[in-house]
Formats: sequence, structure tokens, C-alpha cells
Amino acid sequence: MKKFVCLLPLIALVGCRPPAASVGDVVELRFWNGFSGPDGKAMEQIVRDFNASQKDVRVKMQIIPWSTYYDKVTLGIASRDAPDIFVLHSHRVPEYATHGALAAMDDFLTESKMGPKDFVPLAWGAGTWQGKRYGLPLDCHPLGMYYNADMFRKAGISKPPETKEEFLAVAKKLTQDTDGDGRTDQWGFAITDLHLVGSTLLFQYGASLLDKEGKRAALDTPGGREALGFLRSLVTEHKVAPETSGDDSWVAFQTGKVGMAFQGIWMIDGLERQATFQYAAAPTPILGPEKKVWAGSHILSIPAYLGADRQKAAWSFIRYLSDHSLAWAKGGQVPVRPNILNSKEFQDLRVQREFAKQLGYVQYEPSSPAANQITTYADIAVQSVSQGLATPEEALATATTRVNRVMERQ
Amino acid sequence: MRGRHDARAAVGFLAPFFILFTIFTIVPVLYGFWMSLHNWHILAKTPSFIGFNNYRVVLEDDRFWQALKQTTYFVALVVPAGNLVSLFLAIGLNQRYRGETFYRVLFYLPVITSITVLAVIWRWLYAPDNGLINHLLGSQIRWLDNVELVMPALALMTIWWGAGGNMLVYLAALKAVPAEILEAASLDGSTSIHRFFRMTLPTIRPAILFCVVLSIIASFQVFGQSYILTNGGPADRSLTVALYMYQMGFGQYQLGYASAVAYVLFAVVLAFTLIQFRVLRKSLQPD
Repeated sequence: MKKFVCLLPLIALVGCRPPAASVGDVVELRFWNGFSGPDGKAMEQIVRDFNASQKDVRVKMQIIPWSTYYDKVTLGIASRDAPDIFVLHSHRVPEYATHGALAAMDDFLTESKMGPKDFVPLAWGAGTWQGKRYGLPLDCHPLGMYYNADMFRKAGISKPPETKEEFLAVAKKLTQDTDGDGRTDQWGFAITDLHLVGSTLLFQYGASLLDKEGKRAALDTPGGREALGFLRSLVTEHKVAPETSGDDSWVAFQTGKVGMAFQGIWMIDGLERQATFQYAAAPTPILGPEKKVWAGSHILSIPAYLGADRQKAAWSFIRYLSDHSLAWAKGGQVPVRPNILNSKEFQDLRVQREFAKQLGYVQYEPSSPAANQITTYADIAVQSVSQGLATPEEALATATTRVNRVMERQ
Repeated sequence: MRGRHDARAAVGFLAPFFILFTIFTIVPVLYGFWMSLHNWHILAKTPSFIGFNNYRVVLEDDRFWQALKQTTYFVALVVPAGNLVSLFLAIGLNQRYRGETFYRVLFYLPVITSITVLAVIWRWLYAPDNGLINHLLGSQIRWLDNVELVMPALALMTIWWGAGGNMLVYLAALKAVPAEILEAASLDGSTSIHRFFRMTLPTIRPAILFCVVLSIIASFQVFGQSYILTNGGPADRSLTVALYMYQMGFGQYQLGYASAVAYVLFAVVLAFTLIQFRVLRKSLQPD
């Protein structure tokens, strides 16, 4: 109860703050995002460049860690004190759009003569809801594979695996007891982020959180069960991955105890700074019958209640960001503008370019205002199976009941 | 004449409290109930009235029941063990020796420390690779990632956190046990164990019941421990009702649904409290 009590004075307080003022003819805009890593530094540089490039609009950026970011943005929108431009993850857009919180951008795109031709086809749909555009995708971040190149070389493996058979063979070869004490101390693979790895496996086995109509769960299929069964078998049957998951697994990879791990592009900075070995990246191996991989996008949005002039100024900044996303790529991202992807400068980025190879077959999370809520249910299923607490059948049946219960209320 | 004057003064003195209490407690509590009758997303411009539908869905929600189950488990772990620890500490401190005040302050210190700070400290204590607890045990137990151990681990930390509070109540009750009676009994040759169970314990029974009731109410509302240390994981094994309510309200922004969860929790705690008041009243009646 107390938490809700907190909300009231909070709204009262933020309501008292003066709106961001326009000084003279210069429109001052606030821009929020959660880029608290090295991506934030790249973004800061782009904002500085934008401010220097013209005299009409000044952007002030504020970085809020993702863990509290959405609460701040949402309360901001509810109290009409949100920033003029903010970043949303692609799967969150329908939730905000359906409540009329986001400004439609279709007219801006037409005016700027921007269209599908300027974007990677699969990323073009990100930021839309029910046929209208509520945000522009700045990038596309698919799940990719990092591998320990030193370990590969030592084991005589010449190229990263692409199929399930190759993946298992490599993983088995790398899983070793190096000091001869009878216990494995070098693992071929480690299950890192359960949401990303689980979603990718489900996609590759033809299962999805929601069916094509976006009405009911499509998780509990033979493919879905096989996907989660395969995930668990890496630990139990094939014995190529330790029991751990999440950050612990990633640390194990970072400290050279693991040969391969699937993670997002945003992890490269930590590797650059901390890895004591040669690492390399490759597209995520295709472990199921379908060639798919999980991906998301950072979407740039504008609050719906903003006046036309400010919306226009905000759009000019969004457009600048999109046009200059090469700088963003260098900060550790994959842009979605083909002209940038094909540029020599981008192709020189050895990790980003590997992740970008997957742009032709990425799969986004289902588009639904309830996406955030029902994703939790699938994640719990993946977690339960990967820890051996439930069979894939049990876990997916539970998740299906939960997802459908929420979807019936939509 | 004088009575009316006193009454006016009383109203004057009480008014600041009642005004603030009304604004910050009564109104939000009633408003929360109103919200629980709506499909109320935080961004919804006009939340739709759905009567008691949220309550029906809460009762059908297996995650809510899972949270209630884990919360009850937590209560069962914390309340008996916690009160025993408090009582032991109080007995230890009731022995008249040098430094009694020092130890009293020491045991009470965790109580006045924020749970956020303690949770961060205990995260280090429980750390699998370099945590103090595993170091002392010579083990590598993943306390907070293990489905069997996570709730006991949170309970242990909570007992340590809260023991000092009840300890003070028990200490006060122990000091109120008439010394003459105990002395007379010991002159008559009764052992200290006998004196404790036959004389001290019956005398401090009201304090025991008071502490048990309060710790049950507090334990049902457990939030900070799992919010900070585990966020309900692994696989919902440390999901508590208060945390579930918070996750639905902030995170999912389903304020109506979260309010309904809050009211169901309120009903559960109220039911427990009423039962205990019954027991309390009965046992306080002179034999």
C-alpha cells in the first residue's frame, strides 16, 4: 500500500517543476536514455555534435540507469513532465502507444522523405503499433556469439560453429579437465542471459510468446518443448555447460573459463577492457530448424502531448541521430541504415560487423501492449527448465496459462 | 466549562497529526481501494471500472498463490526462530554484568539500519566465491541462487536484522518479573530452569504474545530483502506478496491489479491478527 502512497506526493512534486524553457529563439530539449555504459559516451558525443551543427535547437541529455529508467519515463508521461525525446526498447512501444502516450511520426517521415528504403527491412517495423509509427529505430541489437579465439586455436578449431552439430562438437571439444583433478574446469559453453538465450532457442524451434495474431500464447508446441529440453541437455546430457546462468556465466567467459557464450553487442566494451585473451564474435549458431535470432531495437520517441513546434524540433534531433548512427555503431551498436552498414568504416568494426550479418533473419519480440508482462512468464519457464526445476512440458504449460490469462483481459 | 476547554486544546494538539494522517494514509488507502476496482494502467487516461474483477483474477493467479505460499513459509521461518533468538538475547542481557548497555546497543543496531544497506552487506556475506559465510564453512554454496536455500537465507538475515527490537520488549518484561518471588523460590531450592519455566515465562506471556503478533504482521509484509537481493528469483522461489504487488504496480504499471493484491494481503494479515487477538485475549484472562 505504502508504495502507492508514495506516488501521490511524487506526482505533486514533479508537477511543480517549471517546464523546460525556450531561451530566446533557441528551443531547449531534454533527452533521456539509459545508456550508462560506453554507449552513453558515444551518445554524448553525438549530442555535442548536434548542438554544434545548428543554432535553433539545444539538446540536454540525461542518462538514467535502465533499472529505474522506465519508472521515471512513465511517471514523467503520466504527469506531463516527460523529456521531449526518450528511448524505448522496441517491445515496450505498443504499451505506451496504446495509451496514446507517444506522438505519431508518420508525417515527419514523409516530410523528411524517409521511408523503408532507408532502413533494414526487418528493423523498419520496430517502433510501429497498429500501422502507425511511434518511434524511429536507432539500431538493431541481435543476440550474437562471443568466443575465446585463443581456446579455439589451442583446440585446433578453425572456424566458429554455425549449426547444431558443429556447435555441440566444438562445445564438447572445448569442455576439458585441464588440471586432471577429475572435475571439468574449462567449459565449451555457458548459459548467460536466460531471456535472450531462451527467446532465441524458442524462435529457432518455431515457438513464440504469442501467435501471429498476437492473441494467444504459442509457446507450448513440440518445438518449444524441444527448445527448452535442448537448453537443459547442454548441462545434463551433453555436459558442455556449467549449472550457472546470468552474470556468473558471463564472468566465467570473461575470465577465460568458457569457450563460447551468447550475449548482446553491448557487452563488447567490458570484454575489451577485461578479457585477458583474444576474443572474437560470430553470428549466433542456428541450433533449431529455423534460421532466426532474437533482436531488439532502441526506439526514439516523443511524448504525444508536446506542442507542434517542440515536436518538430525533437524530430530534427531524432533524424540527426539516425543519419549519424555510424558514431553510435562505434560505441558498440549495430545501426539500421543500409548506407552506414555498407560503409567501409562500419565494416572495419570487427565485432559489430559479425553481429550485423544476422540482420536479414532477426526476430523481434511479439508486438503487444502486454509484452513486458507476458515476457516475464516465458522467462520463468526458461529459468525453471534450465535449473532443472520443471520439465519443458510443465514449465511451458504454466507459462501458457499465465500468458493467455493476461491476453484474455486485453 | 473546563471540560470543553480541554477538549478544544486536545483537538488543537491532535489536529496536525490527524490532518497529515488523513492526507497521507486514509485518503491513499481509500483511493487504493477505488483503484482496485478499475483496470488502471498508469498511463490510462480513463481507467475502466470493472468492479471486483481484479480480485477474481488475483485469486485465479497462480503466481499470487505462489507468492502467498512463499510469504507464509517466510513467516513460519522467521517468527518462531526470531522470537527465540530475541528471548535468548534478552535473558543473556538480564544478568547484571559490566557492559550490558554496550551489548544492548550492539544487538539493537541492525534494527535501526536500513534494509537496503543490510541487504547489500548480506549480499557480500552470501557471495558464492568470496563471501564470508562460504569462507567460514569452506564451501561454495550459492545461497541466493538455490531454490531450497533462498528463503532460509533471507529469513536468517531478517532474524539477525530484527532480533534486537523484540529483545528490548522481552528485556523490559524480564526486568518486570518480581525479584522477590524468584528469590523466595530459589531459597526454597528450585533450580534456575524450573524458575524460568514456572515463574518467568508465565509472567512475560503478554510480552511474548505481543511480539509474536507484531512479528507476524511485519513478516507478512516482507519486501526489501527479496526486492534487493533476489528480485523474487530463482524461479519465483523468493517472490513475496508485497514484492509481487510492487512488480505489478511498478514494472507492469497495472495499478488497479496491484491495489487488489495489496487488499488481499491486507485481508490475510487482518485474518491472522484477529485470530491472534482472540488467542491473546483468552490467554490474558486470569486463570
